Amino acid sequence: MTELVNISGLSITARLSHGDLRLLEDVDLDIGRGEVVGVVGESGSGKTTLARSVVGLLEKNVRVDGGSISLAGEQIIAPGVDRTGRVRGTAVGMVFQDASRSLNPLMKVRAHLAEVLRRHVRGISRNDIERRSVEVLEQMRITDAKRVLDSYPHQLSGGLRQRVAIGLAVVTRPSLVIADECTTALDVTTQTKVVELFRSLVDELGIGLLFVTHDLMLASDLCDRIAVMNSGRVVEQGPAMEVLDRPRQDYTQRLLRAIPTWS
Amino acid sequence: MKAARLRRVAARVGALFASLFIALTMAFALGRLSGDPTANILGPTAPPEQREALRQQLGLDRPLLTQYFDYITGVFTGNLGESLQFYQANTTLIFDRVPYTLQLVAAGMAIAIIIGVPLGVLAATREGTWWDRAASTVALLGQSIPVFWLGMMLVVLFAVKLGWLPAGQSGTPRHLILPSLTMSLYPMAHIARLTRASMSEALAEPFIDSARARGISRTRVVWRHAFKNALMPVLTIVVLQTGILLSGAVAVEYVYSWPGLGQLALQAIQFRDFPLVQAIVVFGAVVFVLLNLLVDVIHSVVDPRVR
Repeated sequence: MTELVNISGLSITARLSHGDLRLLEDVDLDIGRGEVVGVVGESGSGKTTLARSVVGLLEKNVRVDGGSISLAGEQIIAPGVDRTGRVRGTAVGMVFQDASRSLNPLMKVRAHLAEVLRRHVRGISRNDIERRSVEVLEQMRITDAKRVLDSYPHQLSGGLRQRVAIGLAVVTRPSLVIADECTTALDVTTQTKVVELFRSLVDELGIGLLFVTHDLMLASDLCDRIAVMNSGRVVEQGPAMEVLDRPRQDYTQRLLRAIPTWS
Repeated sequence: MKAARLRRVAARVGALFASLFIALTMAFALGRLSGDPTANILGPTAPPEQREALRQQLGLDRPLLTQYFDYITGVFTGNLGESLQFYQANTTLIFDRVPYTLQLVAAGMAIAIIIGVPLGVLAATREGTWWDRAASTVALLGQSIPVFWLGMMLVVLFAVKLGWLPAGQSGTPRHLILPSLTMSLYPMAHIARLTRASMSEALAEPFIDSARARGISRTRVVWRHAFKNALMPVLTIVVLQTGILLSGAVAVEYVYSWPGLGQLALQAIQFRDFPLVQAIVVFGAVVFVLLNLLVDVIHSVVDPRVR
C-alpha cells in the first residue's frame, strides 16, 4: 500500500495561563492510500487534536514542538512550519462530529458545494458546479439530490446532513479524508449506513481515511488498522482485528472491557 | 405549512397591536397622573373659574372613559389633538419636524454603522490582542460620554476655536456634520460592542472550523459565514436604536438648536403643552411598533429557520 500520510514523532503543546499542557507526545502514525486507520481512545486522549493537526485547525495557543506530518511526501506540519493551507479542502477533506452544527445554517446545500468548488476548481462553470454537486450527492447515496441541493441544513434529517457533510469533504476529490467522531450524533442504523458509505468511498476512490472514534465496535467494522490513544500518546497500533482480538497493552484491554454487553 | 406560517404572522401582528394599545393607554394614563393639566398650564394662582373654563375647553370635564375612547379613536383616525402652544394640529407639528430628525438620525446611524460594525468585527477577529482592547475602550468611552457634553465640546472645538463648522441651526449639509457625529457616538459604541460579542460567538461555531477545513478563505469565513450569522442581533439593535433616536433626540437637538422632534418635545414639556407631549409619545410608540415589525421581517429574510 502506497504511503499517503506520515506522522512522525509529533508532539503538540497548549500554552495555558497556569503553564504548558502536552496534548500529543511523540505520536507516530502512517496512513496508506485506500486504507482506513481508526484512532480510538477515551475523551481527552488527544484523538481530535491529532486529527485537527493534519489540517492545521489548532487553537492559537497550541504549538507543534516536535515531529512532523507529511502528506504524499510533502511536509505540511513541523515546528514553525504550517503548510496545511495548501492542502485544506483540496488534498484533505474533513468531516466533523455534528453535521447540524458543521453546516452554515444560513446557506443552502447548493451554496455550500458551489463555494468549495469555486474555491478549488479554477474557472469552473455554473453548469459544471451543478453537475458535480448532483454527482457527489448521488455518490453519497442521496436519491433526491435536486431537492437536497435546494434545502437548508435544518430541513434535512441528521443522516442526510452527515452525508452532505461527507459530500462536501470529498467533492474536490481529496486523497485523504479525516472523519472526527462523525457518527457520534447519529442513531445506530444511520451510523451503519455512514460506515458503509465510507467503506465504499475508500474502495471506489482509493482515498485514505483517518477515522476518529470512541466506538470500538464501529472501528472494528470499518478500519483496516487501529491506533489506540491515551493521554496524548499512541499506546498501541496494528491491524484492527489484531488490536481488538489480542490487545497487548493494559489500557487497550481495559478499553475493550468497558464495552457494554447484553449479558 | 402555509397555514402555520399565516397563524404565526397573525399572532405577531396581534402582539404588536397589543403593545401599541398598551403604550397608548400608558401615554393617556401618565398624562392624567401628572396632576391637573390646567394648574400646570395656568399656574397655581389662576382663579378656579378660569381653570374650569380651560378644563371644559380641553374636554377634561368629561368622564375619563369618554376621554379615553375619544383619544383612542383620534389616534386610529390620525387626530392627535391640537397644541396649546402653537394652536395647530399636533400631527402637522410632528410631521413638520420629522424630516429634520430623520436627516439627523439617518446621518448619525450611518456613521454609527460604518464605524461600529467594522470595529466590532476587528475586535472579535483579533480577540485578546491590543486591537481588541483598543476597540473595546473606544466602545466603552462611546457609551460613557454624555451626549450633551460631547456636543458642547465639539461646538467649542470645531465651531468656536477652529471655526470650521456652524455651531447650530440647520440648512446645509455642513450644519449636519456636528450633530450627526454627536448623535452617532452612543449607537456606534453599542453596535461595536454587540457586533464583537455576536461575532465572537459565531466564530466559535463548528461551521466556522468546517468552512476553514474546506479551505475557504479567511475573509470569506469571517464575512460570509461568521458575520452573516452574527448579523441578526446587530440588525435588531440598529433598528431599535433608530427608533430611540427618531422618537426624540432631545439632547443633541437642544445643543445644536436643531429644529427636530426632540426640540419640539422639549418645547412642549417646557410649556406644559400636554396634548402635544402625548402626541409625541404616541408617535414614538407607533414608530417603535413599526420598527419591531421591521425587525421581524428582516429576521425572517436573513434566517431561513424562522421563515
